[in-house]
Amino acid sequence: MEKNVTYIALFAALIAVLGLVPQISLASGVPITAQSLGVMLCGTVLGAKRGFLAALLFVGLVALGLPLLSGGRGGLGVFASPTVGFVIGFPVAAFVAGFIVEKTRAAIGIAAFGGALIGGVLVLYVFGITGMALILGKSWPAASLLVAAYIPGDLIKAGLAGFITQGLAKLRPESVLSRL
Amino acid sequence: MLTLTSPFETPLHRVAAASKLLGLAAFSIGLFALQDLWAIILAGGLAATVYLACGLGFARFGAAMLRPLWPFLTILTLWHGWTGEWVAGLIIGGKMLVAVALANLVTMTTRLEDMIDVVERAAAPLARFGARPKVLAVAIALVIRFTPVLMDKAGQLGQAWRARSSRRVNWRIVLPISLMALDDAERVAEAIRARGGL
Amino acid sequence: MPKPPASHKNSSLKLMDAGYAIAGRSILSGLTLQLDEQRIGIIGRNGSGKSTFLRLVAGLIAPTTGTVEVDGHAPTTDRKAMLSRIGILFQNPDHQIIFPTVAEELAFGLRQQGLDKAAAAQAVSALLAQHGRSHWAARAVTALSQGQRHFLCLLAVLVMGPRTILLDEPFAGLDLPTQNRLTRALAALPQRLILITHDPKAVADYDRVIWLEGGQVRADGTAGPIIAAFTAEMARLGEADADTDLTL
Repeated sequence: MEKNVTYIALFAALIAVLGLVPQISLASGVPITAQSLGVMLCGTVLGAKRGFLAALLFVGLVALGLPLLSGGRGGLGVFASPTVGFVIGFPVAAFVAGFIVEKTRAAIGIAAFGGALIGGVLVLYVFGITGMALILGKSWPAASLLVAAYIPGDLIKAGLAGFITQGLAKLRPESVLSRL
Repeated sequence: MLTLTSPFETPLHRVAAASKLLGLAAFSIGLFALQDLWAIILAGGLAATVYLACGLGFARFGAAMLRPLWPFLTILTLWHGWTGEWVAGLIIGGKMLVAVALANLVTMTTRLEDMIDVVERAAAPLARFGARPKVLAVAIALVIRFTPVLMDKAGQLGQAWRARSSRRVNWRIVLPISLMALDDAERVAEAIRARGGL
Repeated sequence: MPKPPASHKNSSLKLMDAGYAIAGRSILSGLTLQLDEQRIGIIGRNGSGKSTFLRLVAGLIAPTTGTVEVDGHAPTTDRKAMLSRIGILFQNPDHQIIFPTVAEELAFGLRQQGLDKAAAAQAVSALLAQHGRSHWAARAVTALSQGQRHFLCLLAVLVMGPRTILLDEPFAGLDLPTQNRLTRALAALPQRLILITHDPKAVADYDRVIWLEGGQVRADGTAGPIIAAFTAEMARLGEADADTDLTL
């Protein structure tokens, strides 16, 4: 029980830290915020249920007023703004990513990449675009256009999630709970 | 860890958290239903008045919290300017601004402990389904406690990186940061077990 | 410095042929010990099993062979009984401070022992006042210095009133003034102390010193002779050629 709680809490903190540290740059020099990478890792490393709870805890604390979203955003206002879909989608994205890693028999790196892709990009963007469409009063395709520019970066992030999860599995096999 | 609660004391700080949350829910639903531009402008004016009534410093802080909305307001302006549907654009943008401003008002006038209390009381009936408020309280405390700790360690890792590389810190640093999260989780679990467990 | 008398009858700590192995590797074996003395030191090289030994006695891990008993209870199973008998101070404060403020951190152990919020808060105030640190109550842990955080960890253990305190290398990485302060604070404690350290000087005036080597007791007795033998052995090892063997 204690292990579950601490893993969930520490990974919620990890999502916050990856959003708050100064921008990490991708190989090409493009700066990205690593926060959604943290969400992907919650799923790929902790598995579906714990990853979901970690991301949910994170979102809950944002709602309670902690400035944990990248850029130091937080509070209830986030849930009335156009990015609300992404925030609400975090726990679902983590769950889907973790589910895929748990149920696939592929090597951890590939499974994590697949999970991060489907959960952390596909599912997350469905939520994100829907939220944006609702708040901005636009159609789904129109809202998709607004976020299209970010998709390539997030595809790369999914790949990074695969590498990182694989690396963690080698260094701490007993801690990668999604594959225990 | 710093929260978004405003250090400037206002009368709203003394209102119970639960009342403010319910009030916000009611206002938000009402706002969503509005279709008349003048009604929305009026709502916006009311919101601005409340902010200013709480103090100039407070209002400035509140305005700063609305800054992330600028890109979206710009998009709306360009979009509706192009299509000519000015009124529709103003309605959408206005609703968004007022909704966010009201929500931020609650966040800025409510202390974290009071918010946590509301959550614990709301979660109490769920205790029958296995949710335990004590575990939730510890989980929240752990996140608040460890976010600065992990950030410090991430900072140290960044320095170690820059000490040996002329290139900027890149994605590879996420691996050791995640590793630290895993290791800390193990050790803190042990420390909790050492004091009685959960 | 004169040691204070035992405040009350100490818990009996017994190990009977206790051992611990993980993944086929034996970390501790054949430990049969009765730990009665007021001040006990455990010394040994890194990797000799000292930390595992402490966790065994504390009940954080269960022995894979043999038994461990604290006052007749098995420490791994009877956690509630252990809370008032055994306290543990780990090496790194950042690994054992759970809450963001001092008062919450101190109150946690008391709530775990069954006190309600008000009673715990009262006990915390009393303890802080006793140590002249009432102004620490609302402080954020991140605002404390390293030495102050070590002291907070000690207070968090003391507040639960254990009869025995286990300490895992508490002086590692501390600057000299903090080391001295911590040594003085520990010396004044009426509880029984079992201190793990790789620095024999820290336990030079202890009642009993146990030297662990390769997971077994190499020597066990009064401080003086054991420490002398240990120091000599460490010097001998240090003079030998570089430590290049890979054990795994």
